[in-house]
Formats: sequence, structure tokens, C-alpha cells
Amino acid sequence: MIKYAIRRTLYMILVFFIITLMCFVLIRMLPLPALPPDDIHTEVIQLRREALGYNKPYLEQFAIFLRGVFTKFDWGLSEQLYTGRPVLEIFLEKLPPTMIVNLYSILWTIPVGIGLGILAALMKNTWVDYTISTLTMVVISVPSFVYAFLVQYIFCFRLRWFPLIMKGGTDWFSPAMFKSMIPAVMALSFGVIAGFCRTTRAELTEVLTSEFMLLARTKGLTKTQATIRHALRNCFVVIVPGIFGEFIGILGGSLIIEKIFSIPGVGGLTLAAINSQDYNVFIMSTCFYTAIGLVASLVVDISYGFIDPRIRMGSKK
Amino acid sequence: MKKFLSLLLALVMLFSLVACGDNSDNDGKTPVNSGDNQGDVDVPDDNGLGYTITEFDPEATYTSHGAITTLYANWNPHTYVDGNAIALWDYLSDSLYTLSFNDELHPHEGKDKDPWTSYAIIPQMAAGMATDVTAEVKAEHPDWMPEDATKGYAWEVPLREDLYFETGYHITAETYVQSAKYLLDPRLQNYRSTDFYDGQYGIAGGEKYFKSGTYALSAFVSANMGDDEYVDPANFTVTDAGTYQYEGKDIVLDINSGGNWGLDGGIKTYEGQADQVDRLIAAANDKGQVFLNADLLKDLQDFIAMLHGYGSVDEYAVDAGNYATVEFEEMAFFGQTWPEVDYDSTVGFYAKDEYTLVMVFNTSLDGFYLYWAGFGRADILVEPDVYESCLKQDETGAWTNSYMTSKETSPSFGPYSMTNYQTDKQVAYAKNESWYGWHDDVYHVYKDPNDGNVYRTNMTTNIVLDVVPESATQLQMFLSGQLSSYGLDAIEDYEKYNNSDYLQVAPDAGTGGLWVTGNMNGLKAREAADGFDKTKEDTETIGLTSFHKALAVSFDRQAFIDEVHPDYSTNFGVIGPMYIYDVEDFSVYRQTDQAKQALCDFYSVDTSKFDNLDDAVDSITGYDPEAAKELYKAAYEESLSLGYITDADNDGKCDQTITMIFSSSSPSDFVTRRINYLNSSIATATTGTPFEGKISIVESSPLSNEYLNAFANGSADCFIVAVSGSLFDPFNVLGMYLDPNGAILTNKYYDSTTDMVTINIDGEDITMSATDWYNALNGTPVTLGGKTYNYGNNNAEVETRLTILAALEGKVLQNYYMLPMMCFGSKTLISQQEFSVLDEYANPIIKYGPTRYQYTDAEWEEYVAEQIAEHGQLQY
Repeated sequence: MIKYAIRRTLYMILVFFIITLMCFVLIRMLPLPALPPDDIHTEVIQLRREALGYNKPYLEQFAIFLRGVFTKFDWGLSEQLYTGRPVLEIFLEKLPPTMIVNLYSILWTIPVGIGLGILAALMKNTWVDYTISTLTMVVISVPSFVYAFLVQYIFCFRLRWFPLIMKGGTDWFSPAMFKSMIPAVMALSFGVIAGFCRTTRAELTEVLTSEFMLLARTKGLTKTQATIRHALRNCFVVIVPGIFGEFIGILGGSLIIEKIFSIPGVGGLTLAAINSQDYNVFIMSTCFYTAIGLVASLVVDISYGFIDPRIRMGSKK
Repeated sequence: MKKFLSLLLALVMLFSLVACGDNSDNDGKTPVNSGDNQGDVDVPDDNGLGYTITEFDPEATYTSHGAITTLYANWNPHTYVDGNAIALWDYLSDSLYTLSFNDELHPHEGKDKDPWTSYAIIPQMAAGMATDVTAEVKAEHPDWMPEDATKGYAWEVPLREDLYFETGYHITAETYVQSAKYLLDPRLQNYRSTDFYDGQYGIAGGEKYFKSGTYALSAFVSANMGDDEYVDPANFTVTDAGTYQYEGKDIVLDINSGGNWGLDGGIKTYEGQADQVDRLIAAANDKGQVFLNADLLKDLQDFIAMLHGYGSVDEYAVDAGNYATVEFEEMAFFGQTWPEVDYDSTVGFYAKDEYTLVMVFNTSLDGFYLYWAGFGRADILVEPDVYESCLKQDETGAWTNSYMTSKETSPSFGPYSMTNYQTDKQVAYAKNESWYGWHDDVYHVYKDPNDGNVYRTNMTTNIVLDVVPESATQLQMFLSGQLSSYGLDAIEDYEKYNNSDYLQVAPDAGTGGLWVTGNMNGLKAREAADGFDKTKEDTETIGLTSFHKALAVSFDRQAFIDEVHPDYSTNFGVIGPMYIYDVEDFSVYRQTDQAKQALCDFYSVDTSKFDNLDDAVDSITGYDPEAAKELYKAAYEESLSLGYITDADNDGKCDQTITMIFSSSSPSDFVTRRINYLNSSIATATTGTPFEGKISIVESSPLSNEYLNAFANGSADCFIVAVSGSLFDPFNVLGMYLDPNGAILTNKYYDSTTDMVTINIDGEDITMSATDWYNALNGTPVTLGGKTYNYGNNNAEVETRLTILAALEGKVLQNYYMLPMMCFGSKTLISQQEFSVLDEYANPIIKYGPTRYQYTDAEWEEYVAEQIAEHGQLQY
């Protein structure tokens, strides 16, 4: 298992390097915005591009970039979106609101989603199951931004329970900030709850009808004991990767939800960086997401072994 | 005790007398609170100015809440790129002078103007008006101005002595000079450096210092040739290294710059596609510069010929003549090493003494333009200590500057201090107590036209701008009392709030309509593409003027405004109703007889049937569905005769369908509505014509910033766009149509340099190209037949200039490339917490006048709670 983990980690680093190189070269190959010939600023921009090394060979530019990252953890400065500011600082500034909103969301979507799924599975083919399943299908079918507008209109504008947009400031864990985040958390959660609910119900329904569950009951376990100790554990082989997937989503943010509730998060950062050809911001965010994706995938793979003892890796036949 | 009572009685009587006084007179009596401003308190007249100021409650706060869609990250006056970003700096800064409203206390200088109808020049950081010191400065620095300069070039500005940054840094003339040194520092390559020295309002000597000791490419070779426009390569000199020079300057190609050709990434993007290109790239130095010699020049000329579809420059020259050999000058630059100079002896922006700043301009300035644009060049002030701490040089040698990119790096010297800046979320300001203007009783006060009281200009104590991208959210916030204004956006907004008492309507300079391509080459190229079935489709008809004429009368402009853009207004000309040609009188071009006649001529209005030109112009609708049918028939006949379309079955109808591509940056509700309206109008107008059911407009794929290029290059056929220019210079607006470099939308198919226009000037018919007329009108002398024409400002009577402008506007209209439809504008709901001093929009400078508040923040909160409890939301 340890050998497997080490080997996967090394592969991960290699993949990370290749993806970074590809992204770096591809983004730098995009032609820079044409400069209007009559604009009096054209000359200054050309001088600036020259000074920043935009005319150097791509591999030389990549080498300069790597040297900065590895020697000083310097990811460069933003040139277009946040002129002159270190991109790492910008990224770290925008990460907390995205993470916190999504963390609040996932903190209650997992238990609620899985709980409803268990309930539906245990009460299969009853009105409870039908209600939960129908609602799940409805919720999954509607995009989250629709909930966002509904939540905003009903709970914020009409009922005035919450502010219409997220509060300004960096007091991330103050009661006022928490209250202002609730509408966004709600909008983000409906779809995720429905997703967990549907997966859990489907998996648990299948597991509950397995022969080993009958065996467990015949061994004297109560239905609750059998469900918790055996059925749920089997279900988690499918559910846990979903949770990690959500975790990656946490860091990625939601462009639309962030826009509607004015959350200054990372949702649109990569997109904006590409559109404005802010190379350093793009590379920073790309590297970050690549790393998170690779680590999450590694963790998922390794976690299988802990969740389900039948899945063991690293041993050779 | 008696003494005390007597004294008390006297005091009571005194206060009673004062309270009975008429506070509308400037007689120094203590005013009575008008009562319409809750929280106002009165102070006795002790300023010695002949009026008393009705003070606002010093304990109260008045907060302006705004919603923005983009929060800019750099508001450094030396480096900001997007023009909108500087709005963040405006709150933190101040100017030497400002153009403000003309009230009774600050009348319009020179001419008798009714209050609140014109403007007044108000000294801000300046202690008084500027003094012309041209002669004095010329004696010491003759190189800063022409030999014949006598006035208007050098001006001395006295500064106030109570100017401070909020950091406590004392602002003197030397602070301005230090700021200019930072701005022009050649190492920093500040984006706004060129604004400081370029053009007629630029500062003399600025360019020399900015480029001091550097090898720099300046303008394109062709741009330096003046009237000749190009120089014969035979006149180039050859250096010892074999490279070309002209008048001591190198002829340089930058392989990374597309030059005037609009090649993204320059000819480097053609690497590997032609030997000539590869040789040029191989010859480039590490900066991408190619010093042209005979061989490389030939390669460049051949490459350009290949772009035109020829094998070599010789083949190209058969068709294009001498132009084939000089066209490269539109891509090549002049290059030179600028001599090392020091700031003090070079730049005409210096401190005469601690509180006197001297500014030397590139041209002679005075009056409105001096104070409006000239002294605006001094809006570069930075706090030297903070600025220095924000400069960083990375190991590649490039400098970065974080000044004015955060709260900490934004020291204020204006009315407000930045109290919060959160990236992409919120910026907040609060009253900057160290700003002199809060206590200035002379220039920062006004006499209210409604109640006659004198108030301080600035009442807002706090400003909060939140990023709220969704307009639906903005509206909900506004109706909840959380925003101070809401710009109407959705069509439902207009239906609901168009008659609101709280609606402010503001016109805009943007003037435009439906642009329809005349790019025949582009249209033919599309037809030549694989998959295009000429028996079923046609694009060439789109480029016919006869077709444009039919389109021009197919649209009911008023219906377009009502159905698609209720915030706009109808428009029938090329130049909108906002452009002012005489700033002293605030005279509007559109109101002149020349401009009115131009419209009447174009729209074939028989002016003899009307009492006056105004009535004749008012009768113009631009919409004539019956005439449109005849014009479509004429277009059909022409297209048929040219073989663009067919009528194989002789049913009198076009066999082909004509699909016009509407260039769109991104899909939106407005684009859809525009296209739907156009299609519906065309369908109506073509009913019963050979084009019935044959013409349609479809939206292009999202083209982002390329939507303009798509139209210009002929890959899209039409779109609706407006053009705007300087509000105070209508003569320059036509550059978008008649200046080959500026006419980016039409210069690929319309040659204004050969389109001749005859205008009668003082009884003499003068004929020259539209471009020459445009240049002469804007002060560039044009020589024809040994005679030089210059109709620029100060070179010709304004009536003559108006005549030329109107004739050129008529010429542009007659081209039918832009079919006028609308003028931009905005409609904004103003919060019940606030009101503007004027009920009607006055002019581009005054607008609605200063903002005042009916409620303090605390009162507003209570009011909103009451209203919501009663109505569920605020009622507008």
C-alpha cells in the first residue's frame, strides 16, 4: 500500500508538471491583444511586454517561471486583472469566501442528503420514498442559479430574513457574515442534497437486498445494526468519491452563485484570467486546481482500501 | 438680576430679529432653516463673504450606496488602463481647477449667463486663476515653444497652502514636480506617461525625458510623412552596416507588432508560411526588431504583396503603382536613441517657488480648453513616500507599481479617504477631514436655485460601492433602500418606472444606428467559399447602396426606441444633439441652421412647406414603408442586372435568400430584441416586393471583442453601434468616417481620400476629398493647387466651420453605411433619500446639479422600515 501510494505520488508530480507546461505554453501561444496603431499608449505597452519577457522563447519563459516558483514561491504578478499585485496574494484573498460558503454547504448537504437517501431506501416503495424521489428528480433537473434567484427573491427580498448579497469585509466567521452567506449556501445545497440522496438511495437499496445482508440478519444483528455496519459501509465505496468530488467543487467555486450573491470568490478567476490574458493568474489557478484534482484523486483511490477491505492495492501477485 | 434679565431680553430680541430676516439675500443675516433638509443647522454669518452658509448637521452621516458590476484593481493615475478605473481615484483626489455649475455665487466668466445654464471655472487646489507667463518662460526656454509664440503656452498656477495628503504629507509645487518625475521615469514605463506629454494639451519636453537614453520606436514611418504620407525608399540613406535610415532615424520592423494592418501578433504569426517572413524573423534582434536593409526591405515588400494575393511586389505594383513599394511604411517604425537629458532642463512642468507651479503646453491654450483639458494634465499627483514604497523591480528588470491598488496604498488628498477595499467585492470611502474643501466657504458652496440658501457642495459623508453584477439583485436592493440609485435595465423596468417622479434622464454623446457593410470583397469571398450555393443564397446584394437606401427607410425609429431601447432617443444624423461647438455660449451643433439643413437635405424634406427649419426637422421620421418598397424594387433590379441574384422562374421574385449576419459580442436580451425588431420591420417593408420573405438578419456566434473587426473585415454584415467623441469638439467626430486611420469600420471598402466633396465657402466652390476637408476642418493644412486651406479652430470663422461640418455630415449620410437610428442615454431612479438641486438635466457639466439628502442615514433606516412594513418595498 505504501509503495502504491509513493508510486502514485511520483506519477502525480509528473502529471502535474506536464499539465503545467502544456497550459503555460498554450496560454502564451495565444496572440496578445492587437494594439491600436493610433493609440498613444501602444508604444508603452510594447515596451512593457518586452520588459516582461513576452517576446522570449516559450521554454525560456517557462524556465523563468519555474525558477520563481521553486526558489521563492513567487508566482509572479498580475499584469491585467490586478495590475502589479502578486497573484498568490490575490488567490489567497479570494479563496476564503469560496471555501467557507461551500464548506457550510457541504457540512449540511452530506448528512441531509445521505440521511434522506437512507430514509428513502429503508422506506422503499412507501409514500416517503415516493416523495423524496420525486423531489430529488425535480431538484436535480433545475439548475442551481434558478434556486439562487428564488432564494434571493423569497427569503431576502420578500421575507427579509437575510441580506440580498454577501456582506463586505473579511470577518469570515462573524454572525453577520454567516447570516449573509446562508442564501448562497441554500442555493448551492439543493442540488447537492438531491445528488447524495439519489446515490445513497440507489446504492443502499441494492445493498439491502444482497445476500450478505440476509446473512447478517441471520447472525442475529438487528436491522439497524446490519444497515449501519454492513450496508452503509458498502454504499460508501460509491458515496465517498462523490464527497471528494464535492470537495474539489468547494475550491472551484460556482461562478453563477458567486455572481448572484456578490461573493468575491475564485469562481470566475480562471475564466477572467484567460479572457484578459493575465498569464500569471491563469497559471496560478491552473496549477492549484490541477494539484487539488490530482491529490483528491489519489486520496480517493487510497481511501477505497480503508472503506472496503476487499480493495487492497500495492501487493503483487 | 435686572442686568441679567435685561441682557437675556436683549438676546431674545436679537435672535427674534435675526429669525425674521430674509435669508435669501446675501446680506449677511443669519438664515432661517428652510426645513427641507432634516438635520441642517444654521450658523451665523462670520465668513465676511456677504452670505451665510446653511450647514448640514455635523453629527449626521449621509451615505451614498452604489452598485457596480466591475471593481477595478488599479486606480493609480500613472498606470490605470481602463478609463473607468479612474473613478475610484476621483474620490481620493482633487484638481487644480474644475468646471462646475454657474450659480449666483460663481457666475460664468465673460458672458452673462443665467445661473445653472452654463458652467464656471472653479479654482480647487489652485489659489486663484492662472497667469500667462509665455514671454517670461520663452526667454529662458525657447525650445519649449515655437519662435512666434507670444501667449498661451506657459501658465503659472498659484497653489493653496493648506493642501495635504491624509498621511500628513504637505503638498507643494515640488510635490507636483516629483509626481511628474515618477510618471515620466523611463524605467517605469507608466501607461499614462504619454497622456502627459502627447497632443495639443501635452506638456512640453515630456517625451524627451520619458525616452531619455533609450532606443525607442516612435510612430509608423507613414505617420511621420505629413502631407506626402509616404517617403520614397530611394531617399533612404544607408548606414555602414547597410541598414536604412531616414533623417537619421532607423527604419525598423517589429515582428511582434501588426502595425496598421491589424495583424494580431505581427508577421511573426506567419512564421513558416513564406521564406520572406522566415528571413525577416531570423534577422530580428532579441526585441523582435528588424533593421531593414535592401534585402530585408524587398522581403517585406514581397510579403505584403503576397498578403494582397500577388506573387511579388513587382506584380503588385502593376495594379497598385508606387503604393506597392511604400505600403510597408504602414508597418515599419522610425527608431532612434533619444539623447540623455535631465528633468529640470527638459520638462515644462516645474516649481517656480513653493506654491507656484508652471506648466508649459505643446500648443497655445486659453479659456475653456486651458482649464478643461490643459490643467487636467496636472492630475498626476502622488504621495512620494508611499509611491516609492510601492515600486518594485523583479529580476527580469521589469518594474511594478502597487500604488493605488489597495486601501493602504491609496493616500487621499481629496474629499474622501478609502476605508475599505475588498477585491471584486466592495470599496468604501469616508469624509477626509484633512481636505480643505469641507471648510472652504468660497468655492465649495452654492446658492440653491429653489430656496435661495447657500449650502456646501459636498453633503455626502460616506460612499459605499458594492459589486452587484446582476441587475435583478440591484433592483431588489434599491427597492429595499440599500442603493442610492438604480439604472433602468430590463424592458420591464421602463414599462414600470418610466413615469416615476424619481427618474432622472441623461442624454449621452453616443450617436449611431444600423451599420451595413459595403465590403464587396468580403461578401464575394464568402460566396466563393465551399458550400455556398449561389442558386439559393446571395450576399453581394447586401453591399449595394441601393439596398442600403431601402433599409434606411424601413425602420420606424420611434418604434425601435419604444420597443427595444427606451433609454435611448431617436436620431437622424451622424452627430448627436449633445455636441457643443462653442463652449463659451454652450451652443449645440445640432441646433445650428447648417446642421438642420443637412438633415432636411438628406431626408428630402421640402423646407418651404414649414414655417421654420425646426418644424422641418421635427417632421423627419426616417421611416417611409411605401418608399421602402420602391427602393427594394430598385435594389432588386440592380442586383439582378449585376448577376448577383436570379429570377429563373420569372415570377418577379428573387430566387435567393439574403441572410445578413449581425455582429454580436455576446448573446443578450437586447441583441435578440434588436434583431427581432429589424427582421420584423424588413418583413413589413419587403411585403409585395421581389424580396418578400427573402431577407433575414441572424446573430453571429459570440465574437467577444472581435465583433468590430468581424464587421470591418466583412465576415459580418451589420450591427448596431454608436460612435462618440469629445462633447466639446463636434468637428472631430467625423474621423470615425472620414479619417482613413480612424474609420476602422469602413476603411476597407470606402476610400474617403478619393471621394470628392464640393463646398461653397464665401461664394467660392472648393472641391477636395472628404478626408482633406476633414483634415482642414481640424487644423491640418491642406495644400491644393498651390493654395493652402486650414479651417481649424482659430483659423476660420465658426460659421464657415459649421458649414463644412454640415456638408461632411451630409456626405457621410449619403454613403448609407451607417443608417442613423438612435442616441444613447440613460434613465436612473434616484433614491428617496436623495434629491438633485435641478429637476431637469442642464448640460454635460452641470447635469442635475449637486446631490442633497432628505434624510440622514439613521432617519432613512427608519423611513425604509416604515415603508416596507406598509408596502412591502419602497414605492417609486
